[in-house]
Amino acid sequence: MRTLRLALSLLLLAGAIATGATGSTSADPGITPKTILLGGTAPLSGTASAYASVARGANAYFRHVNSRGGVNGRTITYKFVDDAYNAVQTVQATKQLVEQDKVFAIFNSLGTEQNEAIRPYLNQAKVPQLFVASGATTFGHDFKQYPWTIGFQPSYRAEGWIYGKYLARAKPGAKIAVLFQNDAYGKDLLGGLKQGIARSKVKVVAAEPFEVTAPDVQSQIAKLKASGADTLALFATPRHAIQGYVFANRLKWRPLIINNAVSSASNIMTLASEGNTNQSVENSISIVFLKDPTDAKWRTDPAVKLYRSIMARHARGANAKDVYHVYGMAVAYETVAVLKAAGKNLTRASVMSQTRKLNDASNPFLLPGITVRTSATERFPIEQALLQRWSNGTWKSFGGLWGYRAG
Amino acid sequence: MRRADLVRVGVFALAAIAVFLLPRFISDFRAQQFAYVGIYFIALIGLNLLTGITGQISLGHGAFMLIGGYTTAILMSNQDPPLELFGHAFTNDLRDIWTIPLAGLVAGLVGFLFGFPALRLTGLYLALATFAIAVAAPAVVKKFAGFTGGGGGINLFDVEGRTGRSVTDPVTFESTEGADIFGLHIATFNEWLYYLCWTIALVMFGVAWLLLRGRFGRTLRAVRDSELAAASSGVDLARYKTLAFGISAFYAGVAGSLLAIATTFVNPDTFPIALSIFLLVGVVVGGLGSLWPLVFGAVFIHFMQIEWAQRAEAAIPDFLPILGDIDTDAPGAPAVAFGVVLILIMLAFPGGAAGLLRSLRSLTTRSYRRAR
Repeated sequence: MRTLRLALSLLLLAGAIATGATGSTSADPGITPKTILLGGTAPLSGTASAYASVARGANAYFRHVNSRGGVNGRTITYKFVDDAYNAVQTVQATKQLVEQDKVFAIFNSLGTEQNEAIRPYLNQAKVPQLFVASGATTFGHDFKQYPWTIGFQPSYRAEGWIYGKYLARAKPGAKIAVLFQNDAYGKDLLGGLKQGIARSKVKVVAAEPFEVTAPDVQSQIAKLKASGADTLALFATPRHAIQGYVFANRLKWRPLIINNAVSSASNIMTLASEGNTNQSVENSISIVFLKDPTDAKWRTDPAVKLYRSIMARHARGANAKDVYHVYGMAVAYETVAVLKAAGKNLTRASVMSQTRKLNDASNPFLLPGITVRTSATERFPIEQALLQRWSNGTWKSFGGLWGYRAG
Repeated sequence: MRRADLVRVGVFALAAIAVFLLPRFISDFRAQQFAYVGIYFIALIGLNLLTGITGQISLGHGAFMLIGGYTTAILMSNQDPPLELFGHAFTNDLRDIWTIPLAGLVAGLVGFLFGFPALRLTGLYLALATFAIAVAAPAVVKKFAGFTGGGGGINLFDVEGRTGRSVTDPVTFESTEGADIFGLHIATFNEWLYYLCWTIALVMFGVAWLLLRGRFGRTLRAVRDSELAAASSGVDLARYKTLAFGISAFYAGVAGSLLAIATTFVNPDTFPIALSIFLLVGVVVGGLGSLWPLVFGAVFIHFMQIEWAQRAEAAIPDFLPILGDIDTDAPGAPAVAFGVVLILIMLAFPGGAAGLLRSLRSLTTRSYRRAR
C-alpha cells in the first residue's frame, strides 16, 4: 500500500514537471519563428465605416514591411475583423481573435466605447491592447489598473486644450458653443477645451450633447445658434460633424468652426462643403499630427511618396487621398519599431515593456518635430500637434507645434 | 405514460447525454459558440410557443431579451458611478446565476402586460405593434442612462458576482481552479458557460414539452386555428393569449440574461432590431409549431451570422461566375449572402427543419411498408 502511494506520488510529480516544462518552453500565442499574428477590430460597416481606412492603411504598411523581409525574420499578419462600430460585436470578435485565432496582440482596434468594453478582458488575459485607436484620456491615464493597454494618437483632452489655448490667444472674448458626443470622447474634448481657456476671456456659452446613435443633430445646432455664440466646436465623428456644418449653414449661422481631428479628413470636409455650396466650412480650424497627402506642402516629401507607392502596391483601389490611411501607416510604423526593439525573443511582456520607453522622432508619417514618447509614468505616445485652417478645398497648417502641458 | 411518450423521454435522455459529452470533442472556443446556440434555442422555444403554437406573431422578442439582459446586468453591476433607481444604488447585488430566474420573471411580467393591448390586434397589426417595441426598447435604455449605463452599456467582466471570474489562465485559457460537477471537470469559463446554457435550455425544453402535450397546449393550438371556434368551445381567449405572451417573454428574458452573462457586456446594440427578426427567422427555419427541430433554427441563426455568411459569400464567385469579379470584402456583403441562403432554404424546405424531417419520415415508413 505504502509503495503504491509512493509510486503514485512520484508519478504525479513527474507529470507536474513534464507539464511545467512544456509550459515554460512554449512561446506566447501568435508567434512562430517565421510569423507574428496581430488581430483587431475595425468598423468596416456601419455609421463609422469611414475609419475602415485606418485598418487598411496599417495592413498595407505591414505588407510593405513583409515584402522587405519582415521584422527580425518574422512576417506580420494583421487580421482585422468588422465590428460595425458596435461594442458588443467588438467584444465577441476580440474573444474570437484571442481564443480561436490565438493572436499575439490586439492592435489598433478602433473606438472609445469599443476599446473600453474589451479592456478588462484583455488585461486579465494579459494580451497586449496595442495602440488603441481612440484618444480618450483613460487609455493613457489608467495604466496602473490596465497595464496591458496603450493608446497612440493625441489624447482628446490635449486636443481640446490646444483649441482653448489658440482661441485665448487669437480670439480673446470668443463665445464658444460646443456640440459633443455624449461619451468619454466628447467629454474629454470639452474638458480639455475648458482647461485651455481657463484664466482667459474666452467662454463656453453653450454645450449640447448628442448620442452616438442619434439620427441627426439638427435640434442641437439650433439651440447652439440661439446661444449667441460666435465660435462653434464640433466634437463629433464624421457623420455628425458633417451634419453640424450642413445644419449651421441652413440656419444661416456663420461662426468660426472648430472641427475635431477625428472628422477633419479632407474627404469629409469636401462632403461637408456640399459641392462648394456650403461656405461654413471655410476657415475651419483643426489639429493635425499626420502628413496629410492632400496638403501641397508634402507633395515632394519622401514619406508621402513612400505612402503613395505603398498604397499603389498593397492597397489597390483605395483612395490614397484619405488621410486615415496615413494614420494606419503611422501606427503600423510604430508597431514595427516596437516589435523590432523587443528583439528575437518576442513575448507579450517584452512588447509591452518596449511601449513604456518609446522615444522615437523618426516616424516619417507624423509631422516633423513630433516625438513619440512614453515613460514608466507617462503613457500618452503623441502629445504634439499643429493647427491647420481649411481654405479653398485644402488644409493649410500654420504656427508652430503645440505641446500639451497638463495643469 | 403512453409508449410513444416513453420513447420520447428515452430520446430526450440520449440527446441530453450527447449535449453533455459534446465539449469533449470540440475546442474550447467552439463550446462558447454552442453555448450561444443554447441561448438562441431557449429564445426560439419561447417565440415558437407564441407564434407557432398560439398564432400570435411577434417581431419584438429582442425587446424581451433586452429586458432580461438588462435585469441581469443591472443586478450584477458595479459601475462607477453606480446605477441607481429610486435611491437604490446597484453594486454587486447578486451573483450571476441567481439573476437568471429574476430576469425571466421581469421579462415575463412585461410580456404578460403587453399581452393585454395585444388582445385587440391580430395578424399584421400585431406584427407592427411588437416591431414597435423592438424599435423603441434600445432608445428607452439610452434615455435612462443613470439606471442602464446609457449608450456605453454595462461591463460585467470585472464584476464580483461573475462565476468563473479570474480563474482563467492567461496563456492556455484554462482555469487555475476549475470545478467538479457530477464527476465532470469544468476547466474554462467557456465550458462553464456551455453547461450553464444547455442545462437551462434542456430544462426549459422539457417544461415546454410538458406544457404543450396536454390540455393547455391543445387550447393554445385551438386559439391559433380559429379564435371563433375556440371561444365557442368555452376557451377564455384573453386569458390564454396573455398567458402565452407571458410565458414566451419569460423564455426570452432567460435567454437575454444568459446572453449578458455569456458576453460579459451589454449595451443597447446587444439587442438590435435585427435580433428580433433573426429570432423569427430561426423559428421559421426550425419549423413553425415544432419544438426540438428549433435546435436547427438556433444553429442556423448563430453560425449564419458569424461564419457561414462569410463562407457562402466567398463561394459565390465560384458558383455564379456570371456575376463577375465581386468585392467579397465589401461591407454588408455577408448580410446579402445571408438573405440569399435564407431564400434558397425557404424555397427548398418551406416547412423548415421540422417539415423536412416529417417528409423524410413519411418517405421511410412508406418504403418500409412497400418492402413488406
